[in-house]
Amino acid sequence: MDKLTKKLKENIQGIKSVLSAQDILVYEFQAGDGTDCAIVYTDGMTNKQLLGDLAARPLASLVPSDEKTGFTLDEIKGALLFPELKEETDPEKFFAEVLDGNSLLLVDGIDTGLIVGAKMLPVRAVVEPPTDIAIKGPREGFIEDIKTNMVLLRKRLKTSELKFELQKAGRRSQTNIAVCYLDGIVDKKVAEEVIDRIKEIDIDCIPDSSYVAAFIAPRKHSIFRELGTTEKPDILAAKLAEGRVGILVDGSPIALTAPFILTEDFQSSEDYFVSPFMATIFRAIRFVAVIIALLLPAFYVTAQLFKMQLIPLGLMLNIASSVQGLPLSPSLEMFLVLLVLEVLKEASVRMPKYVGMALSIVGALVLGEAAVSAGFLSTPAIIIVAFSGICLYTVPNFTETGSILRWLFLIVAGSLGPFGIVLLIAFLLYYIISADAFGMPLLAPFSPLVPQDLRDSLIKYNMQSLRRRPKLFRSPNKTRLKPAGDKGEE
Amino acid sequence: MPAIHAIQQDKPAINGRQLCFFAAFLIPVSKFLSAPAALAFFAKGDLLIPALTHYLLQAAILAVILFLASRTDKSFFDMLSDTFGILTARIVYILYSLYFIFFMLMPILNIERFVYSAFFDTAPYLFAFAPFFFLSGFICTKNLKSFGRCADIALPLFLVSFVGLMILSVGEADFSNILPLFGTPFKSTGNAIVRTFGQFSDTALFLPLLGTYRYKKGDGKKIMLSYGLGAVFVLFFLAVFYGIFVSLAPKQPYAFAKIGQYFQALSVVGRFDLLLTYLMTVVLLFYCCFPLQLSVHCFCKAINTERKVWVSAALNVGLLAFSILSTKYYNVLYETITGKLFWIFIVFADLVPVLALCLNRKDVEKAPKTKKKTKKEATYA
Repeated sequence: MDKLTKKLKENIQGIKSVLSAQDILVYEFQAGDGTDCAIVYTDGMTNKQLLGDLAARPLASLVPSDEKTGFTLDEIKGALLFPELKEETDPEKFFAEVLDGNSLLLVDGIDTGLIVGAKMLPVRAVVEPPTDIAIKGPREGFIEDIKTNMVLLRKRLKTSELKFELQKAGRRSQTNIAVCYLDGIVDKKVAEEVIDRIKEIDIDCIPDSSYVAAFIAPRKHSIFRELGTTEKPDILAAKLAEGRVGILVDGSPIALTAPFILTEDFQSSEDYFVSPFMATIFRAIRFVAVIIALLLPAFYVTAQLFKMQLIPLGLMLNIASSVQGLPLSPSLEMFLVLLVLEVLKEASVRMPKYVGMALSIVGALVLGEAAVSAGFLSTPAIIIVAFSGICLYTVPNFTETGSILRWLFLIVAGSLGPFGIVLLIAFLLYYIISADAFGMPLLAPFSPLVPQDLRDSLIKYNMQSLRRRPKLFRSPNKTRLKPAGDKGEE
Repeated sequence: MPAIHAIQQDKPAINGRQLCFFAAFLIPVSKFLSAPAALAFFAKGDLLIPALTHYLLQAAILAVILFLASRTDKSFFDMLSDTFGILTARIVYILYSLYFIFFMLMPILNIERFVYSAFFDTAPYLFAFAPFFFLSGFICTKNLKSFGRCADIALPLFLVSFVGLMILSVGEADFSNILPLFGTPFKSTGNAIVRTFGQFSDTALFLPLLGTYRYKKGDGKKIMLSYGLGAVFVLFFLAVFYGIFVSLAPKQPYAFAKIGQYFQALSVVGRFDLLLTYLMTVVLLFYCCFPLQLSVHCFCKAINTERKVWVSAALNVGLLAFSILSTKYYNVLYETITGKLFWIFIVFADLVPVLALCLNRKDVEKAPKTKKKTKKEATYA
């Protein structure tokens, strides 16, 4: 179909030949003077009642001002009561609109279609996201509908500076992507960079924002994340106010943020709702917990194999009595227990909720107890892996990377001893400090050192001390708090 | 994919703060390996005097290099090239590339021995140290901006480990052992100075950084003070070291792994001083890779290539072979490098920087400000 003609039947035939799917419906009716009209819509994505009340019914009672010439486009538009109404002649565009949930109104004798905004997509309720639970603070979370997510964000940033740059990506999915930022606060270069990279995406289908992240991340094979993620509009709003860029993807409840720095993983929204002392303690606990999670299994293995002095004598004697008679070497034993942990973790995520609890008990308690009794595994190994597993979950966004790193540390500890661990730490540190994402060093503000930004890194100053926006994000508007008797923003 | 936008284009690769941290927190670590035992062997209780002499000499050389940095934005290569022509500049850079390898020969062997003694209770296998060259190879491919950031991250690592180790060990030290000063014959002290030239000739490392670092007013003082702070760390360490080990000090190489072990609580809680030692080792590894990184940098500049990966691979494979083959010849190499070839350090670390004052420092042709930077350059320093 090249273009619309004045003959409705031909137009409907042409549309049906292209949009031949069974959920694309055509509702044909007649206007007040008997002129044929038709509405093309996607079943289940359109508010039919609205379409009937605000489009079909007014047209059914409408007669043309000049019966000889029939309806004009303006007469039709004037009769329709929709706020979202758009003329369209390009078939590619109105096909896209119909598939997106909008409706196409065609009238015999008029070679222009009218896109009617009667979209009604099935959306779930706005609930607290499972991955970003806060004891104190807002509980709203993003959902899969991009429009709702934009509203949730707009609700928190009622300013004309909040901009949404709408894009489409995915050759077949035609997924809506909104790049959002605060004009005048964001570093424009970063926003442009993000938009440019999204434009470059060339893939069939984008089912989730992680696909977008995979495409726009500067280092494709990095084990460290290069874009931040959040499921909460309050966090996204706060990040935009710091000068970051947000990316909302239709169909995904997870918003992306750029630029990303590693310390973000150690921060929680709750840190901003409790006293700065508590926030600092929480962050320190998270940091120490991650170090323990990554290194404890490795040091346990290396202490047994290469450097026993690392363990106090009394504890070493206890461990020695526990591991006596075990058929596996310390590294193999730890490898096996970690594998069991990963399997349990994977299974507990996938298994039905009702059997999950029972299987967890069987897996963790019965299996562990039986393995120790049978002499396959030692109790210290199970305790260490269990503690390591718990520690890693203090920083939920770091669990994937942390899990990989824990394996790596275990491998080098078993083969190269403590020197392997030290080498891997040095390698990872150098790898991170030399990694930039959107012009932002991952390990900032520690390396390169940005003293001003240390105030909200692993330590947290009180709100009044965070007078300036983070220097790292190069915001043109540097001041965010109004000190007494001073003008708030520059 | 489009290139990353030029963000912070005017930022030089390394800034003054990072040079300060390098001088204060990275350079001192290299002095904790075999230098204390060597100084104690020759100078006995006067081991602080040769160390101080070295530091004074190196501080003077550093002042010369900083003076050069304050007078020109040109790199050492450009100054050589503008004065003597490109060919001479290339030859000098190749010589410096070789010098940095030479500079690292003994430290690499020392680290290898340190690793075997501090990281293993049992006899390690032959290739246990080999992965170091993988790390070194990786670091050598990175640009100098990464090194600057490395200096930033060295700050907390060094401070935590050094302060921790000193807290554990200072109580065990008897500082009266280093008194009276000048109690050792001058000849022995002089011998200590000569034999440890290689371990204190760090200021040559600043020379290839010219041009990658833009001098700002006051930087000279800050960097010199930082270098002084590093010297204080080293001198304090030496005093504690000799205060603990006294006459056994010459037989205690790699002392920073042992210096904290006499703290009484360790018998109850385990050797957590080793964790501090391991943390210090991370800084040590960063330091040791830097001259090799500079070697690759100089070589690539001399032959005008960007293929650092191949140069780095060749260098590190060569050093791996050297470390394996020279295990049995440690003493011979030590005698040769510290006893017969010490003049090489004087030439490259002291003489050339002073002679560099005579080079053409005028900026004949300034780089256009609008020059588009590459993806790697166009980010934070």
